Amino acid sequence: MSDLDGAIAQLRACRLIPETQVREICYKARELLIEEGNVVSVDAPVTICGDIHGQFHDLMELFRVGGDIPDTNYLFMGDFVDRGFYSLESFLLLLCLKVRYPDRITLIRGNHESRQITTVYGFYDECIRKYGSANVWRYCCEVFDYLALGALVLGASSELEPTLTGMNDPSQSTVPIGEGELETEVLNSRGEVTMSTYRRRERESSETSTDSRNISPPRDISATRGQTPTRTGPPGTGASGNGPSSQASRTGAVLCVHGGLSPLIDSVDKIRLIDRKQEVPHEGAMCDLLWSDPDEIEGWGLSPRGAGFLFGGDIVKQFNYKNDLSLIARAHQLVMEGYKEMFEGGIVTVWSAPNYCYRCGNVAAILELGEDASNGGTVSRSNGDYGRSNGVLGPGGLDPTVISPGRRYRVFEAAAQDTRGMPAKKPVADYFLVSYPLPFLFICWV
Amino acid sequence: MLPPPELGNLPEIEHITRAASMAQNGRDALSKFVIRDEYIPKLVPLVSVAEDLESLADLHRLCNIMKALILLNDNTIIETVVTDPLILGVVGALEYDPEFPTHKANHRQYLADQSRYKEVVPIKDPLIRRKIRSTWRLQYLKDVVLARILDDPTFSVLNSLIFFNQVDIVNHIQTNAAFLKELFGVFDPRNTNAKRKDDAVQFLHQCAAIAKNLQVPARANLFANLISHGLFAVIAFAIKHENPAMRTTGIDILVALLDHDPLMMRGYMLKAVNEKKTPLTDTLIELLHTEIDLGVKNQLADAIKVLLDPHIPIQEMMSRAGSDPSKPRPSILNDAFVQHHFDESAKKLFVPLRQLENRATLNDMTLHEVALLAHLVDVLTFFVRQHLYRSRTFVHSESLAPRVAQLLKAPQKHLKLTALKFFRMLISLQDTFYQALMTHNNTFGLIIDIVYETMPRDNLLNSACLELFEFIKRENIKPFVLHVVEKYHDKLKDITYVDTFQDLILRYEQMQGYGAEMDSTLFTQEETPTRRIQPNGQRWHGVKEMDAAEEEYFDTSDDEDQFDNAAIAAHAQNGSASPVVKPLVDYPDDDDDPMDTESAEQKQQMDVPSAEPTTPVSAVQAPPERLSEKRRREEEDEDELVKLTSTPKRRSSSSSSGGSGFLRGKRAIAIGSNDRGTTHGLGGMAANAAPKRIAINLGSNTAKPSLSDIHSSSGTADESGEKDTREENQPGEGR
Repeated sequence: MSDLDGAIAQLRACRLIPETQVREICYKARELLIEEGNVVSVDAPVTICGDIHGQFHDLMELFRVGGDIPDTNYLFMGDFVDRGFYSLESFLLLLCLKVRYPDRITLIRGNHESRQITTVYGFYDECIRKYGSANVWRYCCEVFDYLALGALVLGASSELEPTLTGMNDPSQSTVPIGEGELETEVLNSRGEVTMSTYRRRERESSETSTDSRNISPPRDISATRGQTPTRTGPPGTGASGNGPSSQASRTGAVLCVHGGLSPLIDSVDKIRLIDRKQEVPHEGAMCDLLWSDPDEIEGWGLSPRGAGFLFGGDIVKQFNYKNDLSLIARAHQLVMEGYKEMFEGGIVTVWSAPNYCYRCGNVAAILELGEDASNGGTVSRSNGDYGRSNGVLGPGGLDPTVISPGRRYRVFEAAAQDTRGMPAKKPVADYFLVSYPLPFLFICWV
Repeated sequence: MLPPPELGNLPEIEHITRAASMAQNGRDALSKFVIRDEYIPKLVPLVSVAEDLESLADLHRLCNIMKALILLNDNTIIETVVTDPLILGVVGALEYDPEFPTHKANHRQYLADQSRYKEVVPIKDPLIRRKIRSTWRLQYLKDVVLARILDDPTFSVLNSLIFFNQVDIVNHIQTNAAFLKELFGVFDPRNTNAKRKDDAVQFLHQCAAIAKNLQVPARANLFANLISHGLFAVIAFAIKHENPAMRTTGIDILVALLDHDPLMMRGYMLKAVNEKKTPLTDTLIELLHTEIDLGVKNQLADAIKVLLDPHIPIQEMMSRAGSDPSKPRPSILNDAFVQHHFDESAKKLFVPLRQLENRATLNDMTLHEVALLAHLVDVLTFFVRQHLYRSRTFVHSESLAPRVAQLLKAPQKHLKLTALKFFRMLISLQDTFYQALMTHNNTFGLIIDIVYETMPRDNLLNSACLELFEFIKRENIKPFVLHVVEKYHDKLKDITYVDTFQDLILRYEQMQGYGAEMDSTLFTQEETPTRRIQPNGQRWHGVKEMDAAEEEYFDTSDDEDQFDNAAIAAHAQNGSASPVVKPLVDYPDDDDDPMDTESAEQKQQMDVPSAEPTTPVSAVQAPPERLSEKRRREEEDEDELVKLTSTPKRRSSSSSSGGSGFLRGKRAIAIGSNDRGTTHGLGGMAANAAPKRIAINLGSNTAKPSLSDIHSSSGTADESGEKDTREENQPGEGR
């Protein structure tokens, strides 16, 4: 491998690397990815990211907000390419990082990691424009075929360590830390807490009116702040070393997948039986995992996208229960606030492309899951169903012993314009270094 | 409407243009005014004035005004701004984007740089020269200057302007015989100007690239013209070029031709064979074997795939022959000739694969050998899947299957995977000849070895193996179940980390008639492999639909597989010594009687101990009545399904890695390519909430089967189960 760190440095500066080096890196990545299962096991702590879509400068902003690799463990849920102007730089950088730090970054496949889609939505054209031939596109597509279809985050903590930095807001400092477990926290790109929700300790009362699992991103932050941590738990609970008892606080695994569920997949283990090395099919389990969307319906519905399905809260509940999951994290849909929890926190959409297509005006988010240190860092659960409890509940009931992981969302906006230069303008020089093949370059006039 | 263009008025002009842009009538009025008053030519000089004064504020305003005028989305305005006198002034203004106050673009420098234009053969027509220039500038506006701010309507206006210009230019070129003569004259061997030849190849490459966007008749015309002037010679020149970039370019032109009309290309190729000239395929095969640039190799493999593809739909050929009798095709393309050429070429093509036989170890393969073998297996997989009968001859005579099996032991995992996919495809063919290939050479033994090597770790190779065995289990392909369990029982027994293999053994035992516990297990093993040990009644109500799917599966297996597979098994067993081509065992309606006897024979051979062999038929009858009611409904559904899917036996095309499939697909899917909306996903298709099947057909209408890559694990049973689920849950959303 010729100078991987050099390639990373080059790509971080948004400069392309030579075609031969791209090929080497793609081959190397292939060797790594072939060893990964269709569902990769990832240990917490991990930062989960949604669609990137070739917005290179915003990817840099993401790393600034979330911490750099290898210091932070990342999981990207696909859609690295298309739409934005720097699909190549973005994807190749992520790929280089994968080759360089294989266990610090996980890449799974999105619906845009496909030959057909990339020929329509820009990546193919970008490869032709920047390299003069489709070779690089072919290499990348080959890598796409090897990408895992999902990931399972194990050992996430149910409780967040409260963020102390940037708590300069007086309304925040009044929050009594000890009243419950910090369940979710939303931070802006400067690291300031803008919202947090608490979960009552499990056994205190069954009527947890502070059940804040169905949080949705606050459009109006002040309103949310008002309602958040108003309730205090019964005296004597909370802070004093009442560590999470083993029964009450088992955090289930978190399934990460680009699109969503499939009617053909009723257990995580079924995903293992897919031969994933192929172009994303037009139907079937693999297609659904990459194309489906959650929706406020019951059961399954036809998807307006023409591929995949819509699935309702009952499906999510059932699936999570059956597979001992506490949360499904997915991307695939633009959400203006960067993230959106649905179905009582059973599924979350994470979107990491701010100001999508350079004009949607949305913010982006990444999701941090902490590490559960209570078991000394060991993970008690293997992939899929093995070793799960056999507690039988009525249909649709949630296993009371599985609680959702603590979730910290870092919300960020599009990269400041001074740092990112002018999209589509600055690269002009780059285009012509590699001879931007405008039509009739060769015909022409004197 | 707008005040006179003066620096002092800029704030007002900016304000008015912005306000007018808000509503349609305002836009119309403004467009009319700007055109009538020839406002832009008056505005442009202000750019240099403002620059001289170094008044950044004015320049920012000019930029905003210019953007607003372009985004008025008026053809005339856009055509005006790219004319010679105005273009530099316009992009000059656009260099000062107020959104990036600290930056200045360098559009003028780029557009003014005349050295970017090369001219192989001068075009004399001034109109065409002007069109070339403005096309080039429009492209630049679209891709660079305005890329970030373009809205959908303006984007499509730019695109259509470019398109119509290109049509005119291409038309001019192909009707200009003198020009073409001079252009192709460049390749005269006496000409020693190598640079000029390269440029001419690039020029033709760009013509081919543009042709892709043209409508079919125009494209056909252009290509026919170029071919008649000697395009093939140019391709031959390019693909032998020492520079890999030029080889890529040459193959790109070839691929554009193949993409346009593979039949025509094959016609030319066969004509060359007929005239005892060296056909293009031979050149390509030779190159593939020796090519060192991996990107070019990849393209070569794809081109060969399409060129050699012997499949010629008779009807299509007839209609083409009828519509265009001047073409040389009909006389040449007799079947025996095609078959002969195919066999000969295939023989040449797969030589490196055959040479594996004498190779002691696979551990010393070079990167290029590995790449070549991977491509060859990929091409072989394609041929066999598309043309199982034609391919038999050379697969047999060259004994290629054992060679591919050899690759299952290669140290390169991706090569293993490629070989595995070949066998996975053979399994899905349900063809006795290829089934016999599978049961020879210890193929399954090697695959089980891979399972052993990779288990219990979860990785791609392991999943691919599991999927293969799951497929055999789900489709209940009896010859394979029998073969695998009989021959590898002990190995299978020890694989317990998934239930697939234990289920296979169980299924084998059921076939043999040890069916005591069958009633209880048959219905649980399939759906809950991981929890078979304790079947849980409650769960079952949760997934009712799957029950039905399951049951439907047994129905189908009763109808066809029962006799069919038994017969096949008999063949496989009897004829195992020599994998000669058997008489086709076709599907049941052909001849029932011989089948029956064969299957009876088969049962005897198996030496069933129990008095009455229990078949799945009786198992199906066992469950409560509710289910059998459901089954009847299923059967009705299935009829519908058969109508919907043209191929009742799903040929699961496990791998069509891009390649030719894509080439054709690109045009098909480009239907939605103008969609730049912000909806995420298949935007164009999202607009009409059409049912899934129809929407997907958009992609596969013009594409070959390899494109509509049916997911390999969706067998008939699962498929209808899924359909059933959908129908039950979505009564409102009619299809």
